Amino acid sequence: MTPKNNLLIGIIIALLVVASYNIGANPIEFVEGLPNLAIIVDEMTEVEPSLFITAFWSMFETIQMAFIGTLIGITISLPLSMFAARNLYSKYVYVPIRAILAAIRTFPSILWAILFVIMVGLGPFAGVLAIIMYTVGFVAKLQYEAIETIDSDPMDAVKSIGVSKWQLIRYVVLPESAPHLLSQILYMFEYNVRQTSILGLVGAGGIGFYIINYIKFFEYGKAVVFMLVVLFVVLVIDWVSVKIRDKYIVKSQHGIEVTTQSHP
Amino acid sequence: MELLQITNSPSFPLISTKKIIQMNNVYTSYDSKNYALKEISLSIDRGTIYVIVGQSGSGKSTLLKLMNGMMTPSKGTVKIDYQTPDMNNKKFKLMMHKIGYIPQSLGLIKNITVLENTLIGALPRLGKIQSLFKIFPEEEIIEAKKILKQVGLEGKEYRKIYMLSGGERRRVAIARALMQKPTLLLADEIVSELDSVTAREIMNLIVDAQKTMNLTAIMVHHDMQLALEYANRVAVIKEGEKILEIGVEGDKIVDFQTGNLTSDEIMEMYSVDT
Repeated sequence: MTPKNNLLIGIIIALLVVASYNIGANPIEFVEGLPNLAIIVDEMTEVEPSLFITAFWSMFETIQMAFIGTLIGITISLPLSMFAARNLYSKYVYVPIRAILAAIRTFPSILWAILFVIMVGLGPFAGVLAIIMYTVGFVAKLQYEAIETIDSDPMDAVKSIGVSKWQLIRYVVLPESAPHLLSQILYMFEYNVRQTSILGLVGAGGIGFYIINYIKFFEYGKAVVFMLVVLFVVLVIDWVSVKIRDKYIVKSQHGIEVTTQSHP
Repeated sequence: MELLQITNSPSFPLISTKKIIQMNNVYTSYDSKNYALKEISLSIDRGTIYVIVGQSGSGKSTLLKLMNGMMTPSKGTVKIDYQTPDMNNKKFKLMMHKIGYIPQSLGLIKNITVLENTLIGALPRLGKIQSLFKIFPEEEIIEAKKILKQVGLEGKEYRKIYMLSGGERRRVAIARALMQKPTLLLADEIVSELDSVTAREIMNLIVDAQKTMNLTAIMVHHDMQLALEYANRVAVIKEGEKILEIGVEGDKIVDFQTGNLTSDEIMEMYSVDT
């Protein structure tokens, strides 16, 4: 440990204390509040199994919203990510595109949902629009970063044939970045399912609408049914995406390893 | 090869009206102070095999990139088939279609098949809609399969690149270049890291293609022995400068040009490179 490091750690701790004081963080309140948690947990054990069917139907709606949002969002973000990649277009193209994407990302999806509820009214459609915006901002960024890390050799080799930019994108950029894209689609879908569960809080449809209403009326036993369904579905999606990742992405990573071998 | 026959007197000045590459006093630099290449002048005859030999970092890969227009010199002139390289010039772009370039790492696309990688060489002949939807005309697919057979990859057309060995990958890279129906083939260290049997198989493939398609093959190697065995002319690059150029016919050295090197220095260099 150098004195410089000690000083740095000291500064970070001081900032933590000052910030905690400023926001009124009080550990005593936390400890005193624990019995309240016990009451909620106790009420949650009074599960109402009859609601499971409603819960699964509303979860199905949530999944459909997430599916549409992810698919349309990725479709829009794909061309945008090409225009935002520094190794494909000049700064006159990528700088404005990146600025737009950064602006889209500044709003969390719940703010987009509020905006779209005002625009198109309560219901799942507003939620879908919010998911699309969030997906575009996020996936386009991840994807242009993936494009920029593509090995420059296949690009140079194909560019030297004198092909057009669109041919370069179609035959080098897309296949080379495909494993990243697949990984992002899976992650985004999973993330969007969780997100869409929340969007109901502002009236944008899905399972969150039920959860927030039951919590508002202190019916924790009913709310927990919906929460369990969210937990179950997210775990299933996670498990499926791990399988898909193993099948398609790990294999191509393995391919990259083999490239470095000098001979058979 | 009896290298001791070498004398310091240049004997056969080559006369050719058909030059594919002409470089005059070329310098390239990555920054304003350090030159990767210095004072390079050379001319390469159409329909020959020209090998550039040098150790790693000598600037030989840079030299190759000047020959397909991927790099431009900071000083001096480069002419490819009497044209100044300019990637924005339509006429030069047409010429690029006919230059097969194989970078050291081969530049293959790992997630697609051998056949698809080969068909990339046919892209300049494909229309916009066809290339967007990957619709290759039947005759191009037949041609690609024919070339793959020629390079010894018959039956492996539908394998993905990551399933292939090092030697097989080089064959795919050659097939892609040949698919361009090239007049000029540039290969950067294509046999490095291969065992000598595979290396010679790969070299023979290039020599066969050079003969049957009457193309010019320009290759970069670090193995002097292999260069002398296959090339019509060999240039040696050291620290960005051309220090030696040898013309070879069969196992005879027919032309020999050096800077101010003594024969001892040449021999020393030869032993280092082998």
